[in-house]
Amino acid sequence: MAGSYYFYIFSNMAIFVALATLLHLQFGRTGIVNFGVVGFFGLGMYGFGVFLIQLNIPYFIALLMAVALTGVISFLLGLVILKLDSQEVLVATLAFATIIADLVVVQKGVTKGVIGLGSVPFPIQAGLYSQHVFFIVVLIIAALLIMYAKKLEQSPYGRLLISIQDSELLSQSLGKKTFREKLIFFTITSAAMGLLGALYAANVHFLVPRLLGPGTTFTIWIALIIGGRKKVFGGLLGVLVTVGIFDFLVETYVPIPTGQAQLLPVIKMMVYGLTLLLVLMFKPSGLLGTSKKTTK
Amino acid sequence: MSFITDSLILGVIQAAPLVLAAAGFTMIFYLNGFINVAYAESITMGAYFAIIFNTMLHVNFYVAIIPSALLSGVASVITYLLVFRPAFKRGVSSTEMIILSVGLSFFIRYAIQLIFGGLLYSFEVASPASVQILGIGITTIQMTAILLVAAIVIGLYFFIYRTNYGQMMRGLANNEELAMASGINPVRVSILIWFIAGVLGGLSGVFYGVFSFVNPSIGWSLILIIIMITIVGGIGNVKGALIASLLAGVVIAGVTLLVTPIYGEIILLVVFIIVLRFKQVRRVI
Amino acid sequence: MSGKLCLKDVKKSFNGRVVVDVGDVTFGNHRIEGLIGPNGAGKTTMMKLITRRLKADCGVITYMRDGFDDVVVNPHEMEDMARMGLVRTNQIIHDFASLTIRESLLLSLATDHHEKFYKIFNDKQLRKETEKEIEWYLDYFYFEDPNGHALSGGEKKLLDIIRCLVLKPNFLLMDEPTAGLPEDVTIKVMELMKKKAQDENISVLIVEHDLDLIWNLCEYVHFMAEGQVMIQGTPEEIRANDIVAEKYMGAAVC
Repeated sequence: MAGSYYFYIFSNMAIFVALATLLHLQFGRTGIVNFGVVGFFGLGMYGFGVFLIQLNIPYFIALLMAVALTGVISFLLGLVILKLDSQEVLVATLAFATIIADLVVVQKGVTKGVIGLGSVPFPIQAGLYSQHVFFIVVLIIAALLIMYAKKLEQSPYGRLLISIQDSELLSQSLGKKTFREKLIFFTITSAAMGLLGALYAANVHFLVPRLLGPGTTFTIWIALIIGGRKKVFGGLLGVLVTVGIFDFLVETYVPIPTGQAQLLPVIKMMVYGLTLLLVLMFKPSGLLGTSKKTTK
Repeated sequence: MSFITDSLILGVIQAAPLVLAAAGFTMIFYLNGFINVAYAESITMGAYFAIIFNTMLHVNFYVAIIPSALLSGVASVITYLLVFRPAFKRGVSSTEMIILSVGLSFFIRYAIQLIFGGLLYSFEVASPASVQILGIGITTIQMTAILLVAAIVIGLYFFIYRTNYGQMMRGLANNEELAMASGINPVRVSILIWFIAGVLGGLSGVFYGVFSFVNPSIGWSLILIIIMITIVGGIGNVKGALIASLLAGVVIAGVTLLVTPIYGEIILLVVFIIVLRFKQVRRVI
Repeated sequence: MSGKLCLKDVKKSFNGRVVVDVGDVTFGNHRIEGLIGPNGAGKTTMMKLITRRLKADCGVITYMRDGFDDVVVNPHEMEDMARMGLVRTNQIIHDFASLTIRESLLLSLATDHHEKFYKIFNDKQLRKETEKEIEWYLDYFYFEDPNGHALSGGEKKLLDIIRCLVLKPNFLLMDEPTAGLPEDVTIKVMELMKKKAQDENISVLIVEHDLDLIWNLCEYVHFMAEGQVMIQGTPEEIRANDIVAEKYMGAAVC
């Protein structure tokens, strides 16, 4: 169905919006510099694929198991890294994502490695409209997540997270158990990233290790930084501006000579890199943010 | 027994480019206080400069090393002057600096891919003579690399501890205001340090490229290990970087002999995360 | 008397230099006590050891509260001590840059019960519960923008003190609370502390350089220099003491 191509793209965009919003919660609210987004995303993705296809576990149970797996591993990782300072957390999560990507390639018996793992069907089968229905599902999930983030902003728990980000020491001096809360929140949000990974698997149907490269993490980061890391709608705006422009508008509507077509993803990454640089230097709080220097 | 000696020798060979890169990286980390992920691209650029001279311009490999390293140094200084120094002046925090450096890294890496394509390049070297040591053949190139590394480590040690510039760098790193009050020009010292670091990265890239293939991601694939080596060895501590690199090299070599190289990376990265947890990341000198 | 602190053989060194070396001291036998001494005496460091912001190299710090078992401080974390009612106001200005004055106080007043990741609809209830208390403080003290952020250094210092007060501590350590505060605010703070020490179950230990304030407010004073608590006594005794005069007020005499 011609229309389902658009909805395929839109579904991926919705998943990325949700991912960027989760990163907003981790980085923009709590100050956890998670550069391993694709690690949790990939755990959920491949976990789901392996449980479903290799182990023949029923669909929704496999989905739940994938989320649980991601949760457990992020809990363990959190135990180790959440006492470290920001630069170290960045590097540790990056290392984690690399480990996951390597494991997927190397454990060929389980994941089928570079040959690829398939095929993961949609959760709801609706004949020709399956893609459209799927889009509605992920759209709802993304919307719920944004609403949660908005509500969190004006809630006691949200203020607790903000206090941890602004000054963890001061927060502790008021009796807040900062490590425990960071760990819990990190686990929950990372498990949610795993859920999104599983949904992504259900959208692309065929899994390859290349999906777990650093490009995904980088795309989410640049989207969030551009949109505004401390803003609830930062992820949404950022994804629309980056993925929306490149993966959708440019790829669909700009006529590129076929010889040059493979240059587009390369140019895209170059532009992302350059933009990240410029935004951090000149408007670090992003499009939605203020110019006041209250960021840490 | 042969597994251990094989691992040790191969490990030393593997470590040679790592030591070079780690030494350069640690100097920038020490001086500026942040993890410069874009340093990975100094390594990659060094390799590609050498490709230009050696494979495209048909310059002898050993001769090509020199301009390649120098150009990497220059490129490193350019990133400092165009990107990092302005960023510092704008008050960008260290956390944001490292994110910024990731952006720069992606930009340069994909620019290289745009120019050269994703193809793998190889150097034009005459079939090198090899020497047998304890049952392993070591080529003259590898020997050159090891000797060069040894010379550089000693030279760097002298530089940091025995020369004026080295002293200035340490002074600047420890207390910038005091250093400036004593007449040290921070920009000049920084340019020198970034140049040296770029040269080291470039050299590392050349030798790494000659041991395997040259592709746009060679720097990026090494950067996490380099960061780990720097942290384990101590920031600013060249001797520590040397020891940690040797250890890393031996582990990779050993694991490669047993299974596939990827497991080597996995193990090192797991060790990395554990090391981060238990090691206080503080300036050593 | 609500809370007491007992330090025995407590030592702390930085880079080989001994900063705190306290043999046997008890704080809290009187409602309001003072701690004075020259800069570098180790007062703030000792306070940080007590609240577990820092870890002592050796020795035992015991925190005693009416109705509770004695607690040895060392194995605990700073947040645990605060939860047990042992709170310190900050000497240097510390603030949550992103939170407004009210939000800061709401944060302080919120408990584990309120702060759960799945409870995102309970803000109204928390505000209702705490409205009276917060408004009392905003009424008693002047803030230029009470619905917004603390604007000056003085306001941030004041907010820091109020944040600690709403925690309803059993033992409050005040580290140079008046530094940075305008005089009329200082008077108000001290009057409030006097009242609280009398009416509520709270012991106070104030570190101050403003000696008039100390003589005025405190029933008992400790003098600290070179890491040691050298002299202890009533304000009259301390004022008359030669060593105190030499080591601390001596500069004025010459």
